[in-house]
Amino acid sequence: MSAPTLLIAFPKGRLGDDLVPKLAGTPLALDPVALKSRVLRIPTATPGVAALLLKGADLPRYVAAGVASLGIVGSDTLDEMDMDLLELADLGFGACRLSLCAQTGVTLDELRAKPHLRLATKFPKATEAWLTREGLTAELVPLSSSAELAPLLGLADAIVDLVQTGGTLKAHGLVETAILGRSSARLVAARGAYLSEPGRIRPLAEALIAALKG
Amino acid sequence: MPIRTPHFPDLLFGPAERLRRWEAALMALLAEHGYRELHPSLVLREPVPEGALRFFDGDDLVALRWDFTVALAGLLARSFPEPPPRVAYAGAVFRRPIQPWEATERFEVGCERIQPEGEPSGEADLELARLLMAIPGTLGLKNAILHLGNAALVRRPLEAEALPADLALAVVAALSRRAPHRVAQALEGHPAAARLTAHAEALLSELDGPRSLQALARSPYASLLQDDVVRMERALEGLLPILPTNLELRVDLADVAGLDFYTGPTLRLWAPGAQQELASGGRYDRLFPGLGKPWQAAGFCVRLSRLLDLAGTRPDLFEEPR
Repeated sequence: MSAPTLLIAFPKGRLGDDLVPKLAGTPLALDPVALKSRVLRIPTATPGVAALLLKGADLPRYVAAGVASLGIVGSDTLDEMDMDLLELADLGFGACRLSLCAQTGVTLDELRAKPHLRLATKFPKATEAWLTREGLTAELVPLSSSAELAPLLGLADAIVDLVQTGGTLKAHGLVETAILGRSSARLVAARGAYLSEPGRIRPLAEALIAALKG
Repeated sequence: MPIRTPHFPDLLFGPAERLRRWEAALMALLAEHGYRELHPSLVLREPVPEGALRFFDGDDLVALRWDFTVALAGLLARSFPEPPPRVAYAGAVFRRPIQPWEATERFEVGCERIQPEGEPSGEADLELARLLMAIPGTLGLKNAILHLGNAALVRRPLEAEALPADLALAVVAALSRRAPHRVAQALEGHPAAARLTAHAEALLSELDGPRSLQALARSPYASLLQDDVVRMERALEGLLPILPTNLELRVDLADVAGLDFYTGPTLRLWAPGAQQELASGGRYDRLFPGLGKPWQAAGFCVRLSRLLDLAGTRPDLFEEPR
């Protein structure tokens, strides 16, 4: 019985957009015809290795369960999910800040002074850790997208969200009032695959690092 | 292959027969080497940890046996003035799973080698490694990988730097992820950050055969760990000449699983393509002193439930039963 196809999970969206051009011309380049189609399992230039295109929030689960042997995902997602997987490298790209953002003119001290602070976020774990470090309490409003609207429409006093260039914040009249952490793309591996088949997984991991890091 | 195990698995004819056959074969192997069976009760009254299946027996909170080593340690400490040198066990343990695909009820076979404190332990560690090397053949696994590690390689530097518990935990979590960049991040601003990051990079630089030990020469703690490295070299010298052809031996310097429990050499058995280790163990010299007994111990546990899953999803990894 030949070894089953080895799957690498790539993120859709912002990180995926950065990643695909970097892989062009490498052994892990994604098949351009398949990329233009709606299929989510894409052959690579290496026979026996295919890519899965997944939402970032789902990706760690595929890797932790061993369905995909390797994956690329933002460290913000990893920190929120706390799945049992290996994190082989900080690839450096997709760098952004996890920031507390409020409407222009609202200061951090004003937020601190609120008797009932409401923070909208899709990063509750990182937000709770920051609140603990700061000795603050807040009501967390869980959102999965478009958090920038929350302070404008009165759903929350501020948001905790990823900021890359600040353009989206500016467009909504928001500013960063505190930086909670930093995020970048990470190469992750299924613990079982990496430890039980290093001869198969490590060369692919090294090829990904060579293509994507820096 | 992904593993999807019901939390309380019912075994139908094939897996039930396989479980019975494997359990018998492993217990016979252990008996041949002088290991005598002890069977601790399924219901434990020791301080019940989180994750155990707990219930009230009258006014007493009790739990289903969650771990054989803990159950045996209590039994041995209560019942024996001197340690029986070799003990074996077989049966089920019940623990709430950390990952959703793990079972709560798990079948295990294992053994423990117990000695009075202060006795040389190197030969006992080798005896256990040799026994573990015989497990794949006993179960009909075509190929397997034995990882040798040593908890002291991480423990000693952390203790030498007197890291606060939360920082030590963060370093161990980063090593468990094999992420030296996370070690650097966790220790940012700490005086030991550069040393411990360099050590993490040395630990994680290789996952291979005996030459992995050479990576430790690059660690700032190379002299602190000299004795442990010599012990690992001796273990390799003892094991490599008798390595079966279907077994690969690797040194895993960054094995930190169970670091709060293990104190010295660790052993983990994998099969190529398996998603979880199939057996694991090591030296845990602080267990019995904690129960008031001046004994040291090491042992390993074969995870039969994982092997049953593997036989179901990857039958090609096993020989046909004779």
